[in-house]
Amino acid sequence: MKRLFVDVERCLSCRSCEIACAVEHSQSKDLFSSLKEEPGPRSRTKVERDTKLQTFPLQCRHCEEPYCIDACISGAVSKDPETGLVILDEDKCVGCWMCVMVCPFGVIRPAKEKKIALRCDLCQDNEIPACVAACPTKALFFGELKDFKKKLLERKDTKSKVKV
Amino acid sequence: MDYLIIGNCASGVNAVEAIRGKDQKGKITVISDENYPAYCRCLISNYLAGTRKEKDLLLKEKNFYQDNSIELILNKKVESVKPENKRVVLSDGKELKYDRLLIATGGSPKFLGVEGEDKYGIFGFRTLNDAKEILKLIPRAKKVLVFGGGLIGLKAGYALKQKGMDVEIIVKSPRILSQVTDNDSAEMVGRWLMENGIKIRTGLAPKKILGNKKVEGVLLDNEEKMNCQVIIIGKGVRPNMDLVKDSKIQTHWGIITNQYLQTNVENVYAGGDVAETTDLITGEPTINALWTAAAEQGRIAGLNMAGEGKKYPGSIAANSIDFFGLPIISLGYVRVKEKGYEEFVRRQPGIYQYKKIVLKGNRLVGVILVGNIENAGVYLALIRRKVDISGIKDILLEDWFDYSKVSELLEQKEGFRETVSLQGDLVKMA
Ligand SMILES: Cc1cc2nc3c(=O)[nH]c(=O)nc-3n(C[C@H](O)[C@H](O)[C@H](O)COP(=O)(O)OP(=O)(O)OC[C@H]3O[C@@H](n4cnc5c(N)ncnc54)[C@H](O)[C@@H]3O)c2cc1C
Repeated sequence: MKRLFVDVERCLSCRSCEIACAVEHSQSKDLFSSLKEEPGPRSRTKVERDTKLQTFPLQCRHCEEPYCIDACISGAVSKDPETGLVILDEDKCVGCWMCVMVCPFGVIRPAKEKKIALRCDLCQDNEIPACVAACPTKALFFGELKDFKKKLLERKDTKSKVKV
Repeated sequence: MDYLIIGNCASGVNAVEAIRGKDQKGKITVISDENYPAYCRCLISNYLAGTRKEKDLLLKEKNFYQDNSIELILNKKVESVKPENKRVVLSDGKELKYDRLLIATGGSPKFLGVEGEDKYGIFGFRTLNDAKEILKLIPRAKKVLVFGGGLIGLKAGYALKQKGMDVEIIVKSPRILSQVTDNDSAEMVGRWLMENGIKIRTGLAPKKILGNKKVEGVLLDNEEKMNCQVIIIGKGVRPNMDLVKDSKIQTHWGIITNQYLQTNVENVYAGGDVAETTDLITGEPTINALWTAAAEQGRIAGLNMAGEGKKYPGSIAANSIDFFGLPIISLGYVRVKEKGYEEFVRRQPGIYQYKKIVLKGNRLVGVILVGNIENAGVYLALIRRKVDISGIKDILLEDWFDYSKVSELLEQKEGFRETVSLQGDLVKMA
């Protein structure tokens, strides 16, 4: 199962991933035109900075037992049995923010202007998610866990620990 | 194995899915006294407002019952449960037998108990049929009175305001939302509602409903008369547990359950608004009558009925609403009356934004968010996991507070990664 991994130490907090995500989920999918759209483009991934000042992009973890599914009062959130992805049906979403209320990672964002919750869908229509394609330092990786581990080991200077 | 589920909403449906996930062969029967496949009960206010159609309320896809080989019996009520011979008795006298039973009968609105309450035009807002009946009255009705300032009453009032009606909320207590907010945030939300055209009056209660067969008005306890054509009663719900009244199944606030959501009778489980569980924060037995809790309880009860042995950690009061674009979230214990709690507030003068945290010792026990609700779930995780927050007290109210500030604290907690992030995809933080 392909997943999104973050090689935290490579993150330079340039926020290219946020911009790419917002553009990818805009109507025009084009940076220049998207800025004029109403409602404006919004990112579903966010770069956060922890107490050690390390930054990293955070987005839906596609949890094993997602709180957001139990919490959704409109039956709009479900887990795809094949891919394991937790998907929001935006047409069903009523903007009650119950999922925002329960997400322990705080990565579901209320888009008040659209009255729907925004969450990472791993850019299902693309071969690789827009954020991964946009990351200039390759801090974001899309693939199998074993391949990501291999990649980390290849990096001799690695201090990152793979926690699974 | 014969599974019988009474109730076809959040709790019942989640139980069915969980059972089917573990047991593909067993026979599953779902019975409900409503005449619809499972629908999103909370969205009847959206239906009333006209922002959702009936077909949009379906909780599951059309073929759900068929695809999961579930026998669905609609429009039939279970009158009593007979655990000694593992049977339930229906309103038509028929009996059904079971090997495992889930009671997921939810709750019913409480009424006022005043004279004239039998007139047409008074609703406890709970079912799709309630919403349909109210809609029938709307063309001829102009004024609606909502008694009670709780979530359900406000949701109904909000919906009817969107329909162009003249809506007035009448509350006995000095403020609205008294169960889930504090004075200042209630005042803020009340002001917002009034700015959007909903009237609110406090300190008043109805004494008598006026009219012939139909509601025409109300006499208040200050002897004032008010005209109205529709009355919504938002006085809370009581659990639907009459069906176990004469059985050995024990009840208190609701049907008493243990950590596995089992009642005192083997093979009989309960979940949702009818079930009494342990409150995660207070440790006291309670009913947290919420969709989230009902869904989780149904799921876990279902797993256990199919033999899993999964513990339910307890329920937590947590709700989220949005009125006219103003989001409001209330988590945990926020109505502090006694000593031993610390409260911290941040508000921006002049704008609709409010944030309050309630601490007990080194634990976060309650949060109110109005206006800006981003990262609400991070607070809920801290409450749920009983995290020692002594080291981060001073940043909890900051606007830049987010998951990364507490990731280490949360991830140390037993079970955190198992339940939330074990897809193998979270790799970080050397
Ligand atoms: C307008 C409205 C808005 C709401 N908004 C929210 C919200 O935003 N967030 C939130 O957390 N919660 C909300 N709730 C509460 C939420 O809907 C309930 O907590 C949830 O539906 C409980 O699910 P349940 O399965 O336990 O019971 P219910 O949904 O009550 O379902 C029980 C079913 O069993 C049937 N039944 C009862 N007795 C019998 C019997 N003897 N025989 C056969 N069938 C029987 C009932 O008719 C019903 O169909 C809202 C509720 C309403 C009405």
